[in-house]
Amino acid sequence: MANHAPKTRIIKVFRYDPAVGGPGHFDRFELKTDDESLTTILDVLIRLQKTQDLSLAFRYACRVSMCGSCGMVINGREALACKTILADLKGEEVTIRPLNHFPVVKDLVVDMEPFFRKYEEGLTYFHAARERSEPAIIRPDSRERRVIESSTECIACGCCVSSCTMANWHKDYLGPAALNRVFTLLADSRDGLHEERLARSLGSCYHCRTELNCTEVCPKEISATRAIKYIQRLAAKEVLKPGSTVRSDLRELMPPQSTAPAALTPEPEDLLPAVPPPTLASRREFLSRTTLGIAALTIVFLGGVLAATALAPTLRKRPEKWVDVGQAEDFPAGSVKTAQIRYPVKDGFYESTVSKPVFVSHQENPDQFTVFNSRCTHLGCMLHWDDGKNLFICDCHGGQFKPDGVVKAGPPPRSMDRYLTMVQDGHLFVQEA
Amino acid sequence: MKKIRTDILIIGMGGAAQLAALNAFDANPDLNIVIVTKALQGKGGCSRMVQGGFNVVLNSADSHEKHLRDTLKGGQYINNQELAKTLVEQATPTIKEMETRYGCFFDRYPDGTVHQKPFAGQSFDRTVHKGDLTGIEIISRTTEQIMKRDIRILEECRALDLLADTTGREIVGALCVDIKQGDFFVVEAAATLVATGGGPTSYRFFAPGPEKTLDGMGMLYRAGVRMVDMEMLQFHPTGLIVPGSVVAGSLLEEGLRGAGAYMLNSLGERYMQRYDPVKMERTTRDVMSRSSFLEMMAGRDCEHGGVDMMAAHLGAEFVEKNFPGMYTRCKLFGYDLARKPVPVSPAAHFMMGGAVIDTACHTSLERLFAAGEDAGGVHGANRLGGNGIADSCVYGRQAGKSMAQYLKQERGIPQADERQIEHLAANYLAPFARTSGPSPLTLRDELREMNWTHVGIARTEEKLQQAIDIIEKIHEEVLMVQLTGTGGRAYNMVWQDWIALFNMLDVSRMISASALQRQETRGAHFRLDYPKQDDRYGLFNIFLNRGANGKPILEKRPVALKYMRPTDVVN
Ligand SMILES: Cc1cc2nc3c(=O)[nH]c(=O)nc-3n(C[C@H](O)[C@H](O)[C@H](O)COP(=O)(O)OP(=O)(O)OC[C@H]3O[C@@H](n4cnc5c(N)ncnc54)[C@H](O)[C@@H]3O)c2cc1C
Ligand code: SF4
Ligand code: FES
Repeated sequence: MANHAPKTRIIKVFRYDPAVGGPGHFDRFELKTDDESLTTILDVLIRLQKTQDLSLAFRYACRVSMCGSCGMVINGREALACKTILADLKGEEVTIRPLNHFPVVKDLVVDMEPFFRKYEEGLTYFHAARERSEPAIIRPDSRERRVIESSTECIACGCCVSSCTMANWHKDYLGPAALNRVFTLLADSRDGLHEERLARSLGSCYHCRTELNCTEVCPKEISATRAIKYIQRLAAKEVLKPGSTVRSDLRELMPPQSTAPAALTPEPEDLLPAVPPPTLASRREFLSRTTLGIAALTIVFLGGVLAATALAPTLRKRPEKWVDVGQAEDFPAGSVKTAQIRYPVKDGFYESTVSKPVFVSHQENPDQFTVFNSRCTHLGCMLHWDDGKNLFICDCHGGQFKPDGVVKAGPPPRSMDRYLTMVQDGHLFVQEA
Repeated sequence: MKKIRTDILIIGMGGAAQLAALNAFDANPDLNIVIVTKALQGKGGCSRMVQGGFNVVLNSADSHEKHLRDTLKGGQYINNQELAKTLVEQATPTIKEMETRYGCFFDRYPDGTVHQKPFAGQSFDRTVHKGDLTGIEIISRTTEQIMKRDIRILEECRALDLLADTTGREIVGALCVDIKQGDFFVVEAAATLVATGGGPTSYRFFAPGPEKTLDGMGMLYRAGVRMVDMEMLQFHPTGLIVPGSVVAGSLLEEGLRGAGAYMLNSLGERYMQRYDPVKMERTTRDVMSRSSFLEMMAGRDCEHGGVDMMAAHLGAEFVEKNFPGMYTRCKLFGYDLARKPVPVSPAAHFMMGGAVIDTACHTSLERLFAAGEDAGGVHGANRLGGNGIADSCVYGRQAGKSMAQYLKQERGIPQADERQIEHLAANYLAPFARTSGPSPLTLRDELREMNWTHVGIARTEEKLQQAIDIIEKIHEEVLMVQLTGTGGRAYNMVWQDWIALFNMLDVSRMISASALQRQETRGAHFRLDYPKQDDRYGLFNIFLNRGANGKPILEKRPVALKYMRPTDVVN
């Protein structure tokens, strides 16, 4: 609320003039604000433009977090300018730069074309399974609606894509936002492009390293990570399960020894809607290039499914990055400890440092370290280790995991995510993307 | 200059524009359709900002007749009844198509059928919604459907002016500017639809996104299209006040008052006792806005110059659960909607007036169609909450079908008049050549303040007369603007703001001239000097066209009471 003292801040804004070209630079402004708690970053930009530099360019439309036009990187983190309150930003300086992975048009304005192109590639549009004259009867507490929840509320702001360190590593990676929409359509019993969509998206899902950046930055609190994991499980169940009637053409493509790897068997609390596989309705509206793409991708994704396990990203070729967790002897046998890992991340413009906690569990028998991601597999909240209860606990929705990471209670759909580990020269390392 | 030739040009990409594109395409997939939209695809406009929902008859206990009666009653019986009838009748198939073809999923009753909630001014609970973010669901889904089809989208491209043939009777396309590059281009089309969604951002407090700047109505007026009901501008009673922030004016939805939230002045009085002791805060938007405004003018305004809205007594949990979007929006600024009063003010919200259309969306000019908030007549003197998005979707759908039909006979793409194009382009570039002159941003503030005080919620002859002169003065200054320091033409926001002023000024002209003509109070139009609704004065509409001097020429015409008579007009 009001009653805050006026405050002056240094605002550093990325500038790029298309007429000049080059790498761009930062301009430094000073701005005095009467009440920072009533001032958004969008207000800051509007004021800077009005009072200090008329040529400053940024994008907005609704100014109330509904259109997703004003995504940018504010103090190193993706956010909507119209939803970020100045008072909430700590420190003297505020640094504002355009979203990563997108070509810059001018200053903070990026070209969103790649976003929409990726989005479209995932066949992210409803295609009625059959003609109906009346809205389908679907109970709000039905499985599918509980799975889809508010994930359809994406406003296509691009924050998740910008935060994703994988998005610009793989030409064919659809990225979190598109995959989230794919997921909501796959879960929607009314939709008729089930198999094509699955074929289109599954390969993409194995590019995800479960870093959860997308989940963290999404202004609508959507977890694309959850969506991606859903698609993987769905595929495991529908395509690879022996005797599955789905997509026999896909299964024919598989090598003879192909059965689902153990790690891919759906976990008990799977999220699949109880829906018979839809038959394909008319493909009239389908663009012909789509079909070609599917054939090509099919082969790629099968390779991906067979070779990878849900948590073994190392099977894909890419530079390995091992991050030091600490001295191995600091994690005595039989203990579970929290450690902080830090590592630099390079994106389109800058290198930033990721810092996040991990859990190190040292089991006595066999003598080995397990390092867990500290995010709950439900919606990505931070877990904490409770020594008394001997459980990992999520305060958001009450999820609980046993010391070996297996779900004990609550909504988490699967075990905790773990890192690949290695011990070298007395130090414990985990592999990061 | 780059030229694009197409069968159909659609200006805008809100609900009306998108449904038009989808319906035209589905009627004939061979049609070349080009959408020109000022924002990124699917991101502009108010359709996606719809919170409350969509009025539609779905229940057998409800009827189109009841919906029509509610709509006419809300509009104080000056609606075009033919348009209102088509609205309510076609809303039913429209919403069903949104679910079954486009994949929208609206909230359900526990039994799995589509949920309908109450909304002010309705005799039946008929508002379909998706939580309090209905617009995001509608527009996200229809935008995907556009992507799915072979429809060309030119995003961040702004239509500047409609282009006429040499007779001025036929519209042959539009002059546009690519905002990203700053380059002009022309679209020539066999049929053009204007669907830029009005958007009265020409006031101190406004609800629509600032990106909307009355462009369509300005263009229509300048092209000589006949307009109607321009004095009818709706103020939403509860725009959030956030001092100094661009967020100011953003809405707290009406459902809150529907659920029992009440309004307080600085003395802590529920002042609605004085203005509408029966319906209290559940009264119509016009009465609620006017009452708050009068309280503010009488010096009983609260801390930030507005009034307070109180929802805490409904129970914190109830508010958080049922109005999550509103709760979060307030919370962002430290206001606790679920537990404390929140400062609000009426905010300019919606243009009931607009281009004269028939039920097939033809305007008064050949080849030109209009739909959605840019068109007038559906809502009369006051729009019911939930009829706005219904209007845009229904009439967008009508327009799409109608254009496809029109192009069955008429596929020829006419040519635009080169001289007109050059002349317009030169005018739009003029300020770059000047080195001194006023700033467009200051002039915009001036115009907003002037409209708020002179052409706002409570109007008088004296103020309206003054306004008409001030508008011309501001216009003269706008013509002197310079753009030094704003950079090149690429993504030049200040240049775009300057262009917007022409549209805001033209609409201000239309509003003030029409408001002066209507010497009574009716619906959203409140005259302090004629505070009573006067039915003896006759039920009429004010039509207008642009005169040679740029000012409107007005004509009053009686309303055709084709289906229903004002048996019970209540104020
Ligand atoms: C905050 C808010 C809440 C609302 N809530 C409700 C509600 O609950 N129920 C209800 O029924 N109604 C509601 N309304 C009203 C409703 O949103 C509008 O009546 C309706 O959405 C208008 O639709 P439209 O398609 O005509 O225009 P819009 O949806 O506004 O779309 C206009 C489009 O035109 C584009 N455009 C503008 N100028 C140009 C140009 N020069 N060139 C190219 N493109 C341009 C814009 O970018 C945008 O894409 C609300 C309005 C607001 C502002
Ligand atoms: S998923 Fe979230 S972050 Fe990603 S585009 Fe949608 S709203 Fe933005
Ligand atoms: S301006 Fe629309 S989300 Fe920020």
